[in-house]
Formats: sequence, C-alpha cells, structure tokens
Amino acid sequence: MQQTNAKGFQTRRLLGRVRAWFSKPANVILLLFLVALTVLTLYPLLSMLTETVTIHTGREARAAQLSAGSIAMYHFQRLFATSENDYSWIQFYQPFLNTLLVSVAASVIAILFGGIVAFLVTRTDLKYKKFISGVFTFPYIMPSWTLALFWETFFKNVNIGLKTSNGIMASVFGIYMPEWFVYGAFPIALVLGLHYAPFAYILIGGILRNMDANLEEAATILKTPRIRIIWRITLPIVKPAMLSTFLLVFASSMSAYSVPVFLGSPVRYYVLSTKMKSLMDSYPGQAYIIVGVMILFGVAILLLNQKVTNSRKQFTTVTGKSGQISKIHLNRANRPVAILLVIILLLVAVVPLITFALESVIIKAGDYSLSNMTLDFWIGRDLDKRLDQGDSTGILLNPKVWNALGYSLGLAATCAIVAGTCGILVGYGVAKRRGSKLASLVNSLSFFPYLMPSLAFGAIYLSMSSQLPWLRGFALLALVGSVKYLPFASRSGVNAMLQLSGEIEEAAVITGVPWWKRMVRVIFPIQKSSFLSGYLLPMVSCMRELSLFVLLVPTSNTILTTMLMQYSEKGWAQFGNAINLLIIVVVLLVNFTVNKLTGASIDKGVGG
Amino acid sequence: MKKLLALLLTCMLVLSAIPALADVADDVAAGEALTHDELVEKALAETGTFVVYGNTSRIATAAEDFAALYNITTEANNLKDQEIYTKLRSENGNTAADMVMIQDGAQLTDAIDEGLVINFVPSAVKDVLDESDQQPALVHQYINKLFIYNNLGDDVPAIRNVWELTDPSMKGNVIFKNPESEKVNMNFLVMCTKEDWAAKLADAYKAWKGEDIDLGSYKNAGYKWVAEFLDNVTFGKSDTTIAEEVSQETAAGKIGLFVLSKLRSSSVLTDNLTVAQYDASAQGYTVEPFAGFMYPMYTMVNTKATRPYTGMLFIEYLMTQEGFQPWGKSIGAYSPNAAITVNDGDLTIDVWKDTLVMEDADYILESFEVEDFILQHCQK
Repeated sequence: MQQTNAKGFQTRRLLGRVRAWFSKPANVILLLFLVALTVLTLYPLLSMLTETVTIHTGREARAAQLSAGSIAMYHFQRLFATSENDYSWIQFYQPFLNTLLVSVAASVIAILFGGIVAFLVTRTDLKYKKFISGVFTFPYIMPSWTLALFWETFFKNVNIGLKTSNGIMASVFGIYMPEWFVYGAFPIALVLGLHYAPFAYILIGGILRNMDANLEEAATILKTPRIRIIWRITLPIVKPAMLSTFLLVFASSMSAYSVPVFLGSPVRYYVLSTKMKSLMDSYPGQAYIIVGVMILFGVAILLLNQKVTNSRKQFTTVTGKSGQISKIHLNRANRPVAILLVIILLLVAVVPLITFALESVIIKAGDYSLSNMTLDFWIGRDLDKRLDQGDSTGILLNPKVWNALGYSLGLAATCAIVAGTCGILVGYGVAKRRGSKLASLVNSLSFFPYLMPSLAFGAIYLSMSSQLPWLRGFALLALVGSVKYLPFASRSGVNAMLQLSGEIEEAAVITGVPWWKRMVRVIFPIQKSSFLSGYLLPMVSCMRELSLFVLLVPTSNTILTTMLMQYSEKGWAQFGNAINLLIIVVVLLVNFTVNKLTGASIDKGVGG
Repeated sequence: MKKLLALLLTCMLVLSAIPALADVADDVAAGEALTHDELVEKALAETGTFVVYGNTSRIATAAEDFAALYNITTEANNLKDQEIYTKLRSENGNTAADMVMIQDGAQLTDAIDEGLVINFVPSAVKDVLDESDQQPALVHQYINKLFIYNNLGDDVPAIRNVWELTDPSMKGNVIFKNPESEKVNMNFLVMCTKEDWAAKLADAYKAWKGEDIDLGSYKNAGYKWVAEFLDNVTFGKSDTTIAEEVSQETAAGKIGLFVLSKLRSSSVLTDNLTVAQYDASAQGYTVEPFAGFMYPMYTMVNTKATRPYTGMLFIEYLMTQEGFQPWGKSIGAYSPNAAITVNDGDLTIDVWKDTLVMEDADYILESFEVEDFILQHCQK
C-alpha cells in the first residue's frame, strides 16, 4: 500500500513537472521548433548524405557499373581519388582551392570596405553621411549578379574574354582593362565582397555606434596616439563583429553561383558551386558530396566563431550603454574622402541601374547611338515579326511578366510572414530559456539553413516533394523559402528579445494576461521595428532569389528571377536587362515603403 | 510500427503510380490507332490545363496556335534540356507536363528506359517518315550548329578543313558554348572520337598537312582534334550571344560554332557573317570532314500525363506543315517529313546529314572516359 502510494506520488510529481514545463509557452515553442526544424533541416541533410552513397539511374549507374539504387562509396572514390584525365583535380581540388581563395578574399574585402565605411560614418565627422549610409545597403538589396553583369558589360574589351566587342569603358573612354581585372578570381571576389559589404557595415557599425566611449577617452587622456587607440582598443571591440561578418560572407560566397558563372566561365575559372551545378545534371552523387564539403566548411567556421567569442549571439546584438562618443575630425581630408566614397557607391549602386536601362533599349549590342534605340523591349508588340530576338511583346505589356511579378511578390510576402513570425517565436523561446540546452539547440538549428547552399537545398526539397504529393507549386516554394530565410528572421528575433527585460512581460503575467495577448500587446509593440526588419529581410532576399527556386518552380515563367535567368541564358539581353531593372526597382520600392511606413530597415534586420 | 507505416506508405505510393504509368502507355498504344477526328474527340474530353515543356523558345508560338485551333487551355514552358529531365524524374500530378519536346538522344534513351516518357507516332506520318525518325523516339526536327565566321578584315577564317581551327594562330579566335552547359555540344565532341569520324579526321589531317597524322599519346585522330580544338576555343554564354559577338565589326578573324537559326535575330549583324558550308557549297567543295553538327529534337508523351490524348494531338499537330511553321519560317530547322521543304537559300536535310556530325546515342552512352577527357580540355 505504501509502495503504491509512493509510486503514485512519484508519477503525480512527474506529471506535475511535465505540466509545469509545458505551461511555459517558451518551452512549448522551443519543443515545437525543435521537431519542425529537425524535420525541415536535419532530414534534408540526412537525405543528402544518403544521396552521396546511392547510385542513381542512368549515366551514374552505367559509369559505376552498379545497379541503380545500390549503396557504394563510388562517388567518393571518383571525386576525390581519380587521377585519370586529372578528373579529381578538375572536378574537385582545383575548384575547391579557387572557392577558398575567392571566399576568403570576398570576406576580407567585405570586412575592410564595410568596416572602414562603418567607422567613418559612426566615428568621424564625415560629410554626406546620410547619402552614404542610405545607399550602402543597395548592393545587398540588388541581386548579386547585377554587379557581375554590370562589371562585364562595363569593362569587357576586344583584348580579353571573347575578344569580340568593347564595353562602355573601352568604347567610350578608350581604356582597355586587362583580363585578370575583368574575369576570374579578382572580379568574383570583389563583386561578392561589395555585395556582402553591408553585412560588415551593419554589424561593425552597430558595435561602433554603441560602444562605450570611456575606454577610448581614457586612452586619449593618457595621450595615446590615435592609430594606437584604433589598433589596441577599437579593433578588439569590433573583432567579434568582424568574425560574424566573416562567417556570413564566407558561407554566402562559397555557395554563390551566378557571379562565378558570369565572371569565371569566360576564362574557364570554376568554383565548387559551378562544378556542383554541372555535376548535379549527370553525377548527382558527386554533386551532393560537394554540397557536404561546403556545409562542413560553414559549420567549421561557425564552431570556430563560437569558440572564439563563446556565443555568436553576443556580437550581432547591439549592446552596451554608450557614453558620449568623441568624433574624429577628418579636417581637410573630410571632403575628398566623402567624395571618393560617394563616387564608389554611385559606381556600385547607381551606374549599374543606368547601364541596365541603357542595355534594355538598344537593338544591336555595342551600338549606343539613338538610331539603335527602341522602347519595344518594354512596350512593343508583335516583336517576333519585326525584331525576332526574344518574346513577341515588351515586358510591360506581357501578361507573363505581370503574372510572374505577382507570384514573386506573393511568394516573398508569404515567406516573410512565415519566416518572420517563426523568427519572433524562436527569439522569444531562446531568450526566455537562455542558457538551456534546448534553447541553444533550437538557436543553432534555426541558423543551419544559412549554411546549406541554396541550389542544393532546392534540389533536396525537390526530391523530397516527389514523395509528398501535396508538396508542390506555391506550397513547396513557400516552405523552402521560409526555412531558408529563417536564419535572418531568427537572428533579429533573438536579438530583439534579448534586449527586452524580463520584467516587462512579468508585469503582464502577474495580472493574468494570456500569452498571446502579451506577445501582441506588449512585446511586439516595444520591438516593432526590429521584428518588422525580421520580416523585411526574408522578403527582400526572396524577391531576388534564384538558385533556391530554380529547380522548384513549375515553369521558368513562374517567378521573375527564373524568367530573367532564362532570358539571359538565351541571350535575350534586352528583355533580361529590362526584367533585372524591374526586379531591382520593385525590391527598392518594397524596402523604401516598408521603411517609411514602419521604420523597419535591412540594417536592423541583420544587426539587431 | 514506424517500419510498418513506412512500408504501407511505400506500397500505397507504388500502387498509386503503377496504374498511372500503365494508363498512359495504354492510351498511347490506343492513340496510335486513332484517326485524327477520334484523337480530337478524345483530347477534348480531357480536362485541366494542357502543359508542355520544350527546350526550344518557339514552342510558345506553336502552343498558342494549337490552343486557338482546338480551344484547349495550354501552358507552354520553355526550359533547358537538363531542367526537363530533372522535372520528369521528380514531378507528379497536375503540374507535370503532358508532353515534352526535348533534345539529347543519349539522355532520352535513359529516360525511355526509366519509363519517364513514351513514344507516340501519329498514324498520319507513319508511312511518311524513315523508321530511324520514328523509333525509339519521334523526331520533330533536326537542328544544326555550323561553323560561321566573321567576314570582315584581311584575316577572314574561311575554313575548308576543321584542322585549321587547331592551328596555334587560331587560339582565342574560335567561340563555342561550353559542352558542360549543353549536352548536345558534349555529344558532338564525343562523336568525333568514334572510329568512323576519327578515320575521317585522320584523312582530313592528311589533306590539310600533306602528311599522315602523328597521334602522339592520343587514342585516335578524334581525340587529337577535340583536344587541340578545345585548347583554342573561348566559351560563350549562349548561342545567341556567340552569334551576336562574332557578328560585331570589332570581331574580325573570329569564327563560332553555333545554331544556324540564330541568324534570324535582329541583334545579329547577319551581313558580317558567312556560313562556312554555304561558301564552300557555292565554290563546289565541302568543309572537311564536317561543317558542324546536327541533332534531333524529339517529341514524347510524359508517362505521368493527365492529358495524354491532348499530348498526342499536339504531337500530331507539330508534325504538320502548320505545326512546323514557327520553326520552318526561318533557316536552321529541318523536318524529317520530306513534304515540309527547307527555306530558300538553305541546304536540304540530306546535304546536311552528309556534311555534319550526327548523334549516336549508344556510343555516347558508353563513352564516360571520353567525357572525362573532354572535361580535362575544357579546363584551363
């Protein structure tokens, strides 16, 4: 009897504990996300790992002389240890080294450029700050290939690449740039570096703007030279932000596809992502091994990052109570430095747009005379009978384009709502259960999709969708987009929640306000702009996404970016340029409108 | 429990897939015996949007005309060949294509073996076409990629022998699409190493140099030509871009290997271009041993089609003079149907078959090592 009582007591105690655990919304949220993220991120990862040892039908099975579906280490042996025809060197080692070089260089460029501008804007009395900080995020808002396309169009000449025609630099200014400047490692790293420099600007700028000025002031009082203060005080403080930037830029550059295709292929410069794409067509097993290598690198840097700084979340958060920061006077250098920056930003952010506009109205390439210009590619009809260089109607009169624009906007909005809301919930759970294993697991899992190359992520979801009949079309694209962009939203969600003091919610808890009401009435309004930024970043990223969706769209005409890629590959340059411009304008408009209406902005989304 | 559930689900999936496969195969078998009117009746009885994938941009025009003719809601999608094969393998249900128009005979052979697509030969063309154009897959048209050069300046590369393209002086002057990005280009290079073409290349070498070819470490003359050709080549993004670029006034001395039909585009300065074989024919010779290559574009019914009879009707339509019009209106597309003649100024399909390298799917499918060899020479 006593034993039964004891047992019953224990069971009741356990039940009570479970009930208490589940009565906390943060626990329920974390548990739900643990399950969901395991299915949505770990399952794809495992299925990808399975693909690396599975022999696929067709070419792969015949080449391996094994039956389709069998399990073998053939792909590993072939990709890593085939010396005949230099196979492994060509398909893996050389592209791998190129990828490392380009990704490291891009990260350094992004940190240097973004960091220096962030320093100048936050810590000096630089002129035209408003313009500089306003335009600096443009390259990130624009699709990355924008700058790559511009680079080629602007600098190509008859001495390099195809050696057939001159770009604007050669034909207008008579300046012929060397091949290394226009194609290959240098421009790829530079373009990626410039594209991701806003990460550095936002992360480093956030720290610089809010850092405690006492340290620097103390050094100044002790008559420490300025350069020594920067070297010994400022740099160590921003080091975590620099490492964060390195992680983000390195992982993104490693899986970047369009930029190496545009600027590498003409000189036979291949990176892992371009090799992965071509292998995916004929030897998917080897392509998935390359994806695995990319993920391994991402995870390694993430771990290194965590080890160095102990916790990644610390440096993406705007922390500290700053005192009065003393601004450095640039004196006579002020105007020249500001003008130089403005020129660089105009070149990177504004001139490409003008170039696209120009390229979308000329009939024959390279001829910029008025007689060679037409608005037909925008508003013409019956073009197949007159020009026959692409579609039969101009893009603004083409229902396909409007449908694709509507679909892209709908998809971006859906992904933003799903990812943004999940981001807030993850943020809430992680912040409330800070320090627990569950919280840190969910936090890491929610960042994991960032490390998966988009193209491979799409490919895995495509093969998953063939097993799930309901998962197709819009639902498939929305799910993939939401998972892929969750890291952006969860970052800003976690950061925003960490800034909130627990007392704010506690007051509402004591008065018995239900959880959802606390979220909607208390927490959300306080951190509104940070949360909204968590919605904006997935929205913007989704609007200009290509690699993630390229295999999943029902047709190339479904969304604007796949339509653009199709036109570009067919060589329908004018239509391609017009659609590119349309995408950029729409993305900028969305960004501007949301910013004006709600105060949310991209920089808050990344930087917290 | 989990295993049981997984087994049950798998069984359900397999069971749900088998009838669909068998249904479409039965429909196609039945369709081959139907008259045109019966096929129309069956097609109109089907519901839902008729979806087409094709790796030719002009499929859109053909589909529009077809939709207007039969009042059938049609959605035509122009995709790359590889995208179509990927989608055929992974798509199910209403979004999948009912019918595909596709190139690359080697991959198509695999797709047929895997049961992804089924061949349909309309009764109207059964007695008209050669057997080789009907089986294993119906050929809708042949497309040729030819050596076409810029005719400006003093240094015009009016080639008479393809070995001229391997001369060190031609380095950087030859433009071709990367064989890794379009399989038909890879297929062409692979075919050059087949014994018959290798022998012809060896003869052509002797005709060019006046001496027997020294193969060195190469297995045959085909390997040697491919290696030396690729060493001189610069890769262009697309055939349209190559056509535009080679036609530039600043591109004297350049020669490209690209689709002849690109000459129709107004962005190409056609006057600056000369098709090597046109010039050769006018002077009574041919480019030795080939003036480029030619490959078929096939039409097939998707085994997952939800409108199989409409797919068959569309195939029947494409094989008519009217259905061929979107391609036949300009040069560079050749119907296997002799009743559909070529454009003025173009050469006939028989002439092209004699002067161009054609695909042999069986040889390509077994030539993995050749592809590795080609990839090696596509690298710097």
